[in-house]
Amino acid sequence: METKTFKGGIHPPERKEATEGKAIERISTPKQVVVPVNQHFGAPNQSLVKVGDVVKRGQKIADAEGKMTVPVHAPVAGTVKKIEPRTQSNNIDGPCIIIETAASDETDFMSPLDAFSCTKEEAIARIRDAGIVGMGGAGFPVYVKLAPPPNKPINVVIANGAECEPYLTIDEMTMLEDGAKVVEGLAIIMRTVGVKKGIFAIEENKKHAAESIEKVIPSAAHGLDISVVLLKTKYPQGGEKMLITAVTGKEVPSGGLPMDVGCIVQNIGSLKAIAEAFTEGKPLIDRGLTITGGACKTPKNVIVPIGTVIGEIPSEFLDIDRDALRKILFGGPMMGTAVPSLDIPVQKNTSGVTMMNAAEADATEEGPCIRCGRCMRNCSCRLSPVLMNNAIDTGDLEGAAKIGLLDCIECGSCSYVCPARIQLVQRFRVGKQLLRNKRAAASPAPAKA
Amino acid sequence: MANTERRVLLSSSPHFYAPTTARRLMANVLMALAPAAAYGVVLFGLPALFTIATSVAVAVVSEAAFRKAVGEKPRFDDLSAIVTGLLLAMVIPPSTPLWMTALGSMFAIVVAKEFFGGLGANVFNPALIGRAFLLMSFPAALTTWHKPFGALVDATTTATPLNVVKLGGTIADVGKGLADSGLAASAGYGDMLKALVLGNRAGCIGESSILLILAGALFLLVTKTIDWRAPLAMITATFLASLALGMDPVFGIFSGGVMFGAVFMITDYVSAPVTPIGKLIFGACAGLITVMIRKFGGYPEGVTYAILIMNAIAPFLNKIVEKKYGFVAPKKEASK
Repeated sequence: METKTFKGGIHPPERKEATEGKAIERISTPKQVVVPVNQHFGAPNQSLVKVGDVVKRGQKIADAEGKMTVPVHAPVAGTVKKIEPRTQSNNIDGPCIIIETAASDETDFMSPLDAFSCTKEEAIARIRDAGIVGMGGAGFPVYVKLAPPPNKPINVVIANGAECEPYLTIDEMTMLEDGAKVVEGLAIIMRTVGVKKGIFAIEENKKHAAESIEKVIPSAAHGLDISVVLLKTKYPQGGEKMLITAVTGKEVPSGGLPMDVGCIVQNIGSLKAIAEAFTEGKPLIDRGLTITGGACKTPKNVIVPIGTVIGEIPSEFLDIDRDALRKILFGGPMMGTAVPSLDIPVQKNTSGVTMMNAAEADATEEGPCIRCGRCMRNCSCRLSPVLMNNAIDTGDLEGAAKIGLLDCIECGSCSYVCPARIQLVQRFRVGKQLLRNKRAAASPAPAKA
Repeated sequence: MANTERRVLLSSSPHFYAPTTARRLMANVLMALAPAAAYGVVLFGLPALFTIATSVAVAVVSEAAFRKAVGEKPRFDDLSAIVTGLLLAMVIPPSTPLWMTALGSMFAIVVAKEFFGGLGANVFNPALIGRAFLLMSFPAALTTWHKPFGALVDATTTATPLNVVKLGGTIADVGKGLADSGLAASAGYGDMLKALVLGNRAGCIGESSILLILAGALFLLVTKTIDWRAPLAMITATFLASLALGMDPVFGIFSGGVMFGAVFMITDYVSAPVTPIGKLIFGACAGLITVMIRKFGGYPEGVTYAILIMNAIAPFLNKIVEKKYGFVAPKKEASK
């Protein structure tokens, strides 16, 4: 099969050997879960339970009115012990519902629903009711993504099997072990939105996963046109924009969305969750992730209940070399978030936890920019990082926007190649926020929900 | 748990980096310069060696002293002062009095680099500013050339090939001059070119051996230390401009500092544009101006001033950026 790709990209070391091919293990149920009330991109939820309430596994415990809201469900059966702010994986404190696990494991799922005979409205409602968000990082409400306005026709749904982030292997293993569910999830999306073509875009370094998916398509695709496309292995091949360009050759317009070029992109974990929401009536209450890193003595792919606190994962599943531990990342080294402790809970968009040791975690101080231009040559979006950095430094935020500040997908390629170790992504994040503040102050728009 | 928390690092993504550091890049440049520098010492003897040593030492010391004087941290590990010192030494005559070399090196580092803000902030190429300063202040010394291989025995002043042409001579005269000095096998065109390429002719310490400069260029390109655009544009422009103005284009690119400038001067990161198209225009215009100075200007060689002039224009060339991903041409009416 020929491989497709986008122009450019970098090749950081993959470092997937530790967990590649390791079967996904389900961890033993933790004694408590710390469930963040808000795990989606959009308007905040309210808790539906109070301290002392007894909840069943799968019961809805947080929700809100409004378009960009997604409910949260109890991952375990138990008693609500506390509802208080805790630090989430984005280093921001958010309200969390802390449930002490009961032995009973009483479950309260929805009834199964046939995605291929129900109405589209019922299907969309089920996806919302199951609390499914984009599990690849952004946490975008999937049910909103699947209801594009009529003037944006969708021609293809792309399953993001790239997994370009170093260290992470959970998507690869999910495709190998749960291929049928993943294909079915894609078929469900295609049927619900009325799209004729579905594509599994998988990086070359996961050829066996591609073959496995191909084998399972005839039986799991419900007769819909789904095929596999192989992509060159590079970073950030799995970035939505780069993925769309590689598969379709089109570019998402600046400030636009995939639907503007007729595409919907979905994470592998989300596809599995969608399939389970219909066939089992199961809401999003657990997820697979990769635990790895030089300071992790037990690199594995595991399934954990949402809300599991990292430090409370039993040591037969997660044994950390505390003396060697230098950095804890939620995600991988290119776009993951560094967190201050192991007290952070897994949430819907956690795809991995990387325990870096000193050799892996580079702590070099920034040097002055020597204007070598490597950042410009390696930017995945063809922006001008060094010029954007200069513009932000001098306060010329609109100038920075002109050369692409708001188009930056924060993939980290520029910082990765910078010989002076300049924290470009950090500066762009700050710059973007400053620009948004400035624009909001200049022309106060009616407050968005 | 508290122990672990204290030791854990927090920073923005990404959390690891490519192995190339600024120091590595400077080290690559030094390695690329080494063969040409060594051959310069072979050609011109101990004076060349002392010039190089003085220039490098003064550069390093001036940088450290200046930074201490203004309260900045000294910067030893990035080798950039050593590079500047070596580059300056390689573009001045081997017979330059050492005190002048020292002065030029100090000027290059302190005025051209540190006054502007140090590493990464200089507008002009520091080594070329040092050379221009010396040329303006001590024109006689900076235009006194010695025969190669003659330093220890008989330091005879002589004319460089470009000097010969500037003073009205022809290429044939250059060939004859080289043959008479025993540097070329004969006065023929082929042998003259051979002498130029091998570096057996009067000139600056480093600009002589085209062969070794090209070897250095290859090394820098393979290690991705330099970008091919500016050097290729400069050499091509020099070739074409010489041709257009009725001068021998091959002689044009092999004589003087064109090769050295194209590989080591125009590729200086800080003083050049960062955008790819900017680099192309930068190199092309530098080549063009070089030939214009050679043909119409008072100096026999134009590389120094051509590059310095383009350094001044570089910020404007930075405005020419590649179209970003998903570029949408701005509409007249703001509809959103």
